[in-house]
Amino acid sequence: MKNKYKISIIIGCMCLLLSLGISIQIKTINNIGTSTTSTNEIENKLRDEILKTKEKYDNLYSDLEQVENQLEEERNNAASNNSDLEELEKNITEGNKILGLAEVTGQGIIVTLNDNQLLTSNNYILDPNSALVHDMDVIKVINELKNAGAEAISINDQRIIATTAIECDGNVIKVNGIKVGAPFEIKAIGLPEYLINVKRYGGYLMYLEQRGITVNVSKSDQITIPKYTGVIKFEYAESK
Amino acid sequence: MIVIGIIVGCIIGALIGINAPIIPYTYSTFLAIAVVAALDSVFGGITSVLKKNFDLTIFISGFFCNSILSIALTYLGQKLNIDIYLAALVVFVGRMFTNLTIIRRYYIEKWTEKLQVNNKNKEEKAK
Repeated sequence: MKNKYKISIIIGCMCLLLSLGISIQIKTINNIGTSTTSTNEIENKLRDEILKTKEKYDNLYSDLEQVENQLEEERNNAASNNSDLEELEKNITEGNKILGLAEVTGQGIIVTLNDNQLLTSNNYILDPNSALVHDMDVIKVINELKNAGAEAISINDQRIIATTAIECDGNVIKVNGIKVGAPFEIKAIGLPEYLINVKRYGGYLMYLEQRGITVNVSKSDQITIPKYTGVIKFEYAESK
Repeated sequence: MIVIGIIVGCIIGALIGINAPIIPYTYSTFLAIAVVAALDSVFGGITSVLKKNFDLTIFISGFFCNSILSIALTYLGQKLNIDIYLAALVVFVGRMFTNLTIIRRYYIEKWTEKLQVNNKNKEEKAK
């Protein structure tokens, strides 16, 4: 009987190792984002690099956020007893809001653009190109929103600022140098009654709908647009 | 008894694994092959318990030797650009099936024997 206890403990330990290995493996594979295992060494190394860089980036970004919060606190502390500094502090907050360096909330609309989902069923009629949302389409929609008085715009949580470029990058588009793919969720803060006119008859969204692209426009009282996460560089422009 | 050991071990291992850090992707192939080796060892262990020739030393040394050899083969395969780990996989999975057959046979035979004994008892009672 004693022997049986020993055996079951040993086999239990083995099972412990086994399930430990399995769960770590599952976690690693999930983290990499694909299910294909490969023994190609170069590929694995590249994946490894990506994983490491991602982790590093996340860590650094959280550090940055912490430091920014500290700075904010320090500024508030410094300005709390001094009316001049309070004025300056207000200026900074205002400036950040306009530059896109602060998260903003407010009323506005959400435009969702998605590729033509019926493409597979009747693709013999369509030019495949016309069924996709291109960078130019997004640019035109954003232009109309700006014209309607949008104060802050984001595409899939990428804030549009003065230096933002929207470019084609294969089957996705790049906003602020970061890849975003369909469906595109364009959020805009402004007076919703004006912004909703982006869906007027003969507008660009109408043209997109004719191409079979799924267009969805909805008003919202509470839209949150994240801040721009990159660095704004001004090396050559000098103000007098 | 053994079933309880297996279940408890699996649960504890999974709990530790959920909280464990992830490993570099380069080594995940090695871990995968080691997992298969461990699975093979567990099946082998259960079979030997049923056959009543379980030997602790053989079991543990078999587990480590299998794991180390398969990991070494995988590494060699990466250096030679040939998927040697497939060979290890075939052997392990093949053995797992063989062991499963033995376990299945053991329990089915036990069950049928019990059934026959029961039937005999019933017949005797009827007489």
